[in-house]
Amino acid sequence: METRVEGGAIFTCETCSLSTPFTYFGQKPPNTRAIVLLEESYVLKDPFSPDREKFIVLGSSCTVCSKVVCVGTECSLFYTRRFCLPCVRENLDQFPQQIQVELAKKKAPLHT
Amino acid sequence: MASEKRDERWDWDSPRCRAQLDEIFFRQHDYIQTGSQDHRDFWAFFERFQRFKARKELSGSKDNKNEDPNSSKSRKSGSLDLGLPKEYDARYRINISVNTKDVEDKMQGCGHRQRQTSSGPGKQEITDCRLALLHFLDFCQRQGFNKLAKLRQEQRSLPIFVYRDRIVELVKANPVVVVAGDTGCGKSTQVPQYLLASGFNYIACTQPRRIACISLAKRVSFESLNQYGSKVGYQIRFETTRTLATKLLFLTEGLLLRQIQKDSLLDQYQVLIVDEVHERHLHCDFLLGVLRALISSRSDLRLVLMSATINIKLFSEYFRGAPVLQVPGRLFPIQVIYQPIPPEEQVSRLEKLDPRPYLRVLQGIDQRYLPEERGDVLLFLSGVAEISTVLEACQAYATHTQRWIVLALHSTLSLAQQDKVFDISPTGVRKCIISTNIAETSVTIDGVRFVVDSGKVKEMSFDPKAKMQRLQEFWISRASSEQRKGRAGRTGPGVCYRLYAESDYDAFAPYPVPEIHRVALDSLVLQMKSMDLGDPCSFSFIDPPSASSIQTALTYLRDQGALDASGELTTIGRLLASLPVDVVIGKMLVLGSLFNLVEPVLTVAAALTVQSPFLRSAQHNPDCATARQPLHSNQGDPFTLLNTFNAWVQVKGERGGGSRKWCRRRGLEEQRLYEMVNLRRQFKELLKSHGLLEEQGTGVVTPEERKRRRERLTERHQLHQIKREHDLQEGSRRKVLRLEEGTEDTSGSDDETSGKKGKDKKADGQSVDIQEVKFKLRHNVDQLQEVASASQDLPSRQQALLKLVLCRGLYPQLSLPDEHNATRKDSEQIFHTRNKQGVVIHPTSVFASDPEVLHVPDQEGSQPGADKGQSSRHQLLAFVTLLETNKPYVSNCVRVPALQALLLVANCLDSNGNCTRLVADGWLELCLSDGERTLGVISSALELRAEWERLLQAQLSKHRPSGRDLERLSDRLVRFLLYTEVNYSVRRLTGLQAQNLYVGPQRDPDPSDALALRSVFRGVEPKPDPIKGGLRVSSYFTYNCLSDPTDLYSECLRTFWTCPFCALYMPFTPLERMQHQAACKPPEEIAAQEAEAECESEKAVKPSSSSLTRLYHCDICNKDLTLTSTEILKHKRQHTVAS
Ligand SMILES: [Zn+2]
Ligand SMILES: [Zn+2]
Repeated sequence: METRVEGGAIFTCETCSLSTPFTYFGQKPPNTRAIVLLEESYVLKDPFSPDREKFIVLGSSCTVCSKVVCVGTECSLFYTRRFCLPCVRENLDQFPQQIQVELAKKKAPLHT
Repeated sequence: MASEKRDERWDWDSPRCRAQLDEIFFRQHDYIQTGSQDHRDFWAFFERFQRFKARKELSGSKDNKNEDPNSSKSRKSGSLDLGLPKEYDARYRINISVNTKDVEDKMQGCGHRQRQTSSGPGKQEITDCRLALLHFLDFCQRQGFNKLAKLRQEQRSLPIFVYRDRIVELVKANPVVVVAGDTGCGKSTQVPQYLLASGFNYIACTQPRRIACISLAKRVSFESLNQYGSKVGYQIRFETTRTLATKLLFLTEGLLLRQIQKDSLLDQYQVLIVDEVHERHLHCDFLLGVLRALISSRSDLRLVLMSATINIKLFSEYFRGAPVLQVPGRLFPIQVIYQPIPPEEQVSRLEKLDPRPYLRVLQGIDQRYLPEERGDVLLFLSGVAEISTVLEACQAYATHTQRWIVLALHSTLSLAQQDKVFDISPTGVRKCIISTNIAETSVTIDGVRFVVDSGKVKEMSFDPKAKMQRLQEFWISRASSEQRKGRAGRTGPGVCYRLYAESDYDAFAPYPVPEIHRVALDSLVLQMKSMDLGDPCSFSFIDPPSASSIQTALTYLRDQGALDASGELTTIGRLLASLPVDVVIGKMLVLGSLFNLVEPVLTVAAALTVQSPFLRSAQHNPDCATARQPLHSNQGDPFTLLNTFNAWVQVKGERGGGSRKWCRRRGLEEQRLYEMVNLRRQFKELLKSHGLLEEQGTGVVTPEERKRRRERLTERHQLHQIKREHDLQEGSRRKVLRLEEGTEDTSGSDDETSGKKGKDKKADGQSVDIQEVKFKLRHNVDQLQEVASASQDLPSRQQALLKLVLCRGLYPQLSLPDEHNATRKDSEQIFHTRNKQGVVIHPTSVFASDPEVLHVPDQEGSQPGADKGQSSRHQLLAFVTLLETNKPYVSNCVRVPALQALLLVANCLDSNGNCTRLVADGWLELCLSDGERTLGVISSALELRAEWERLLQAQLSKHRPSGRDLERLSDRLVRFLLYTEVNYSVRRLTGLQAQNLYVGPQRDPDPSDALALRSVFRGVEPKPDPIKGGLRVSSYFTYNCLSDPTDLYSECLRTFWTCPFCALYMPFTPLERMQHQAACKPPEEIAAQEAEAECESEKAVKPSSSSLTRLYHCDICNKDLTLTSTEILKHKRQHTVAS
């Protein structure tokens, strides 16, 4: 699936509810030549850069629970593929030590 | 080993090696391109990354060995196998890959063949570089995302955020909504965005200040992720960023009003947001009134008023009970300490402020708070003089304690100095900013923890009787007092020291006096007239101004010629209303466009509209004064400004950015000159669009010209590039202040070169003068230079004409030097205006330092035996502003010859019977020794005015008068100005004299008077004036209406005289002399000197001596008559008038 999105489409993180328009969904943002994303992502043309091809990956779906999450470290992590933090915690033992330590440092989110 | 061998040759730091990798990863169409900022950033990142890797390898290898992930631990039963790699690699954390296989393959192929001679990158190097690139891209992604997330977080934490949906709902359901929220609630930035996001298009948001339009547009376009687009723009008088794509526009209140003038329904907008309505600016009050009427005719229009939580009911009720949404502000608690000034330290009006109470506050802060605890001081005083007094004392204290940096903040400082208040103080040192009320709303300074409030403000008020602005000190209102206090609690809990008693506070007025009750309403009334809003007195303002203040404006507009006697707009008035400038400036522009004076007039008009470029602080610097000297013109301040601008343009043409230094040497604020050049261009376009100026025809383009254009295009391209790069770097971090900052004299000295330390030098050299770049982008310097050099040394004739144009523009703002000025000290020269006696020249004016040019020269020009005070060299001073501070000051003055100027511009000229006494505008009396010549002069003036008016009307109705007519008129005007030699004295009439000026209507006016006048002033129809008496010769000249005290003695004024024609020798009064001479003259001379000959006719009513009559045969009525020569003339005229 790959879409160039016209104005108006909104990406919303299901965990932190960060919400912002996005301009592209897929793995190959426009005008980026050698760059390929390793996951189907919600992408926004970088609003902080005057260059047309610069982009920001906003988020994608958790490969376990399919929730749409942002790439913020409070919401998800990427380790060969996207996991939302609840799913990481769920399966923490399968993740390497480094990630386990990292997660332990973070306080568990207040559950909603 | 092969790899070792390669390592010897491969050098990561070598530009050649890097270039080879650039060819793989950073090609022309790649995400990151060689030569870009990102590319430079990558290599910097690369070095850090390599170091990091090396360190990690050293310390981390042991850990990695021990760790055999997952294998030892058993998986929780029932959970899903994610199939994650066993060994951790940071690479797995990155969701991006870079596919360069194609290039690599090619490179590998090459590399293989040339293995022995080439040192191309091997597999390892490519892998290393790719890994670094991936981490770099990941790093960039994180940076970008975090910036976005932070922005969203900030938006969500604003107090207004929770009202987001409510606001949108209210606006959808109601034509008018009031959003009231205090400082920091986020209404100005968020409400427009909420409406935009909810689907409204074409939103206009007005601001009282231009600067706010720019900064809000910048902020909101950033927040709405459109900083490089034009969805959000601004429009102010000088510039706009608006395009067809603009959906949200920030603009000034005045500009929206101008748009309504052109587009009365404002169809271009769906939503109008009027921000800061509580500030009650004149334009805002008027705008609300206009919009109130507008919404009834546009049901689809949505109006949002935004206000502080002040007097909300007033706005809601004005709009028929519009719903109000109140949003709490975000302020930290502020402790209020009342610390009234003890009586012995209080001052009377004329004394200098006692700084001790203010110093005590600083001392108190030093005692109570550790220096490490941050928190700056913001001190509110009423005016510039007060600020410098307290500044001096505080700086002495700062030098002593080494714990303070004291800075002033007011609008007459240079922009660079104003900007300093935003810089950060070093640790352990506090900033103390001493400010006018500019920091109450217009300027927001972060980091303020302590506010010191004097409770005073200097505010402009308008005295309609003296037609004078007055800057007076008042107690502030409770609303202002709270606003000042609030400045202490923006970033944390704060303290507010009020240097007055709580009982004083309670006695303060609740709100400041709205501007509409404090200022002259000329421009407002003119605009109302042009918008067809009916009687200004019955317009339903939110808080109507007094009828007398509207009446004053109407009278003034009539005096200026913008309204006719019945209060309707004149042609010129209509034009003036459409120009976004003061009426006087507009008049100058229009008048200047008629003559060949457009270029200097454009410059002068622009210069008088912006703040003076001459910095006050530099006035006492002897170096600056010397450097400024060549710019001064003793013709008047507008000429000094003209010289300054022209000289600056020359410097810009020759040295470009070197103008910065040139300005500094002379104590000039270059920003003002940039404003002038922009405004000047805008004025030019205005004149063109109103058909007052011909478009420069683009004739045949010579190859040379084509080449020059090409060059200019290339240059523009480069300039755009520079500007873009500058814009990218903008918003760099704030500088840290030095402890000695503010204590040194920074005015006008070359502090930029002397003060900077070595490490700043590089950055300084690199920094572009962005103003210079913008200037070059906007203006064709060659053309400007041409124009400037043309008006640089105006020939005296042009100068005289320009003065006349300025004088007519400024009329009725004229003042008369006091007759005793020549015997007074320079500092005690006084002047009188029509409504105000004893005004002085502002010290910034060229006449303050050179008043002698205004004195009547001794003896010169006056005939022996002439009355005291008689001269042909009297001058008047036309001025731009009359403002009373501690004294009434006139500023921006130009001197003009009194008699000529009055005859050419005054609205009301009255004479006595023999024209030895003239009164202009009911307040200036001119006593002339030679009535005969005076009448001639008046006659020429009348003719010149009629011709001037004719050509002006033609110009205004877009039939540009012929160049020959214009040439002739300007020639005659100049001759009139320069070569009219009549001796006279001039004085201001006392109130009593001004009241008993006229003879009043005569029951039985002599008809022959009218006949005589008709022959003197061609083409006029004199009528008895029903109020003043005498005969009205033209709309502004009434003959013989002055009650003449000298009549009683006219018998005694005979002197012996010999007639040059008949050699008759006997005593004559001047009039009898004129009469005799005219009659005695040979006929051909009579025709040539009609005006003079006809002078006598006014006395023809008196029985003339029979010796002067002769026999005359009239061919028309075929009769023999016995007549004097005047009577013959009269008789002949009768026939010509009749035919
Ligand atoms: Zn999230
Ligand atoms: Zn999940």
